[in-house]
Amino acid sequence: MIPRDVCRRVLGAAMATGADFAELYAENTVNHSINMIASKVDAIKDTVVAGAGIRLYKGLRSVMTSTVDTSEEGLMRCARQAADALGEGNAPIDIVLKERLFGDVHPVKIVPSSVSNKVKVDILKQAYFAAKDYDSCITQVTGVLADVDHNILIANSEGLYAQDRQIRTRMAISAVAEQDGQTQTGFYGPGRRMGLEMFETVIPEQVGIRAARQAKIMAGAGYCPAGVMPVAIDNGFGGVIFHEACGHSLEAASVAYGNSQFAGKLGQVIANEKVTAIDDGTISGAWGSVNIDDEGTPARKNVLIEKGVLKSYMVDKFNGRRMGMESTGNARRQGYSFTPTSRMTNTYIAAGDDKNEDIIASMEYGLYAKEMGGGSVNPVTGDFNFAVTEGYMVRNGKICEPVRGASLVGKGSEVIKNIDMVGTDMEMGQGMCGSSSGSVPTNVGQPLIRVSSITVGGR
Amino acid sequence: MDFNIFKNMVIARAEELGIAEYELYYQSSGSAMVKVYQHQIDQFSASEEGGACFRCIVNGKMGYASTEDLSAEQAAGIVERAADNALALESEESVFLNPGGMEYEDPGLKNYEIPATEALIAAALKTQSKLYETDPAVVDGSETRSVSESSRIAISNSKGLDLSYENNLTVVMTEAVVERQEEKANEYAFKLGRLDTIDPAALAKKAVSDALSKLGADVAPTGNYPVVFSPEAMSSLLNVFSSVFSSEAAQKGLSRLADKEGQIIAAEIVTLVDDPFHKDNPMPIHFDAEGSPTHRKNIIEKGALKTLLYNLKTAAVAGKKTTGNASKAGYDAPIGLRPFTMYLAGGDMSEEKLLKKAGNGVYITDLQGLHAGASPVTGDFSLQSAGFLIENGVKTTPVKGFTVAGNFYDMLQNITALADNVELSRALGMTAFGAPTTLVEGLSVAGK
Repeated sequence: MIPRDVCRRVLGAAMATGADFAELYAENTVNHSINMIASKVDAIKDTVVAGAGIRLYKGLRSVMTSTVDTSEEGLMRCARQAADALGEGNAPIDIVLKERLFGDVHPVKIVPSSVSNKVKVDILKQAYFAAKDYDSCITQVTGVLADVDHNILIANSEGLYAQDRQIRTRMAISAVAEQDGQTQTGFYGPGRRMGLEMFETVIPEQVGIRAARQAKIMAGAGYCPAGVMPVAIDNGFGGVIFHEACGHSLEAASVAYGNSQFAGKLGQVIANEKVTAIDDGTISGAWGSVNIDDEGTPARKNVLIEKGVLKSYMVDKFNGRRMGMESTGNARRQGYSFTPTSRMTNTYIAAGDDKNEDIIASMEYGLYAKEMGGGSVNPVTGDFNFAVTEGYMVRNGKICEPVRGASLVGKGSEVIKNIDMVGTDMEMGQGMCGSSSGSVPTNVGQPLIRVSSITVGGR
Repeated sequence: MDFNIFKNMVIARAEELGIAEYELYYQSSGSAMVKVYQHQIDQFSASEEGGACFRCIVNGKMGYASTEDLSAEQAAGIVERAADNALALESEESVFLNPGGMEYEDPGLKNYEIPATEALIAAALKTQSKLYETDPAVVDGSETRSVSESSRIAISNSKGLDLSYENNLTVVMTEAVVERQEEKANEYAFKLGRLDTIDPAALAKKAVSDALSKLGADVAPTGNYPVVFSPEAMSSLLNVFSSVFSSEAAQKGLSRLADKEGQIIAAEIVTLVDDPFHKDNPMPIHFDAEGSPTHRKNIIEKGALKTLLYNLKTAAVAGKKTTGNASKAGYDAPIGLRPFTMYLAGGDMSEEKLLKKAGNGVYITDLQGLHAGASPVTGDFSLQSAGFLIENGVKTTPVKGFTVAGNFYDMLQNITALADNVELSRALGMTAFGAPTTLVEGLSVAGK
């Protein structure tokens, strides 16, 4: 994208006022998405995102500037702006950049940008009409097939010069069902760090059917009762409970500033001994994977919690300075105009040894949350919430009638202790996680788990 | 390259390809941000972004393509891709570009000069030190940011439309983190406007006193009882449910307000307004994303649905005129709909009197998880909440860790009182939402 000698001159200009670290990040991304509604292809979005960001550190201070002008002149202007913002000083520096190749553990077979709209429309229609034709109660379906070809270049004053190409594909179907005057929705949105070969394993019809089935079940469901009760949360997107209740509070962005319930707790028991939690950016083809993070650090598999004991935070270089810790390969940014910070990749509760049937059988009265929506957390207090999009009451150890409109709320540091049964069938679900460095693809995951007690918001 | 050179290249390529109807939409912004941690500048950032969206009518369909790379290659590329994308579209609804010749209200722009970086730094440092001075319970983790932002939009099309808009904005935002007996709480306060009109002490005091008031919170009791929403909490509910007033959502079966225009959908005291020129909206804009003039309108008037929000396409489907509410979720997004300043009009009683009327219940100041726990299609919501108990008509103990659940469509009917204190909240970006303190019956609280 940008030649090495240009990067070297730009980094030199950026460090002219005494920065102890400088980084150039450049991006060229093609976003493409096809939308369907009312059984027709309704819109196509087709965007080239291009620009560069320059960051400087001096001790615990950081400066970030960004520009859409990636000519050498534009980059030099951006570098001088950053240097000026850092302050007065004079430190001529000679940087030698060496190209580092990190390899690609996510080989792409069918590059989406090489495929015509027609081929993509055909794939989307398979999912769309599987949902539309699922049942006469389905009144509307919306569908999207999106692909991203995200190319990044990172060069820094430590001599790094590296590039990565991140191709992702995602399909999402939303179905609306109406029964006896009740309207409800269903959703399924699988994604992979792959090209269109994703659909060799993710069958489009199944995506549509899964969304429509959920809408139909929920349209026939009554409201979830309110109260404090045990809840069994299923695998896949159910892992959003760990993401919200615990994951965000283990990001250096919160920990470095003391704004986390888990700051200063390394080596201590913070969770139930049944809980082992991992953030792994290296899983081949997984939605949240990266070869290198957005500071050029190779992705890793980090054990965050092992049998209840806090083992590691998720750390980026800058927050790592404040904490006296090395980067764990978790620096991420949506794009060139965002300042990167520590973020999750593929984060999950590892499989345990409780049988699914034992987990359900253990509950006298509670909720089985089969499918989950998104949530949010305040890391300072640990107060979090997330929505249950498909739930069932459990009575006397048996799954009973479906219920709708439930949400779960709690305090992360308490709920993580109440995860007292962990099943064996770990699976992941895909989401877009929003935070200060923008929206990034993350996987959440877990096997079926039981939370012994949590507040269920219903009516 | 310069945008005007890029624009001429785009037009030349469109003409070469024989594309007669097209539009070029350009949006760019620049911002500077200073963040203070403890008593030092911890982060500074200055960013510049912008992109161009070309759309054109080919075979009766509207194709789009966009780029941030203003190169000669992309000038031709977006024209070719937009034309190709149009060929894959199937929707049979008629599409429109702005025909031009419309009349616009004066936007009354209060265009600030962008402050110098030194002034942003001074405002942030001062506000941060006021945080610590306000109360000894304020701890590290508290932070203050000041941000200046300038945004520009330009639309031109093959029918001679040529509109542009520029707006500058400054914000100081502070977060107080307080700690007492190992319990922490945090709260934000922010102020928009000219830097010299922002009072650091007042801003710090608001954040600190709001954070302190959350300490020692209990869990609200489970039950059905009166719920009072603060102006900010009601504004965030309006924000998440604003799409129910979109004609597109109604026409596509994604809002229950289809065919409800002219009918009673809310309590008689409810009037909902969209006013792009509201005095407290820092970004008044005189044209929408299709270049149609914007104007003030009542969406709900005394409980009756007067109009949904329309753009050129949905208005044609309904046989109506656009209400000037076309929007784009980003420069590259297809045309959708949104209000500009949507607010629930105030009533005639003080908040104090409204709380007396509520008697015993809960006062909600904070709703979380709105992107997940609320569905505009069904109207259902179940949301993590925090606030205070109302006992015998006054706010008492802080409460958190509970949910408030109900249905937005039903809630409109069950608003029983509105105070006279309308405030706009979350007025960042193009859309602002506002409401007074609002009393609602019939919602469910799940706590202890």
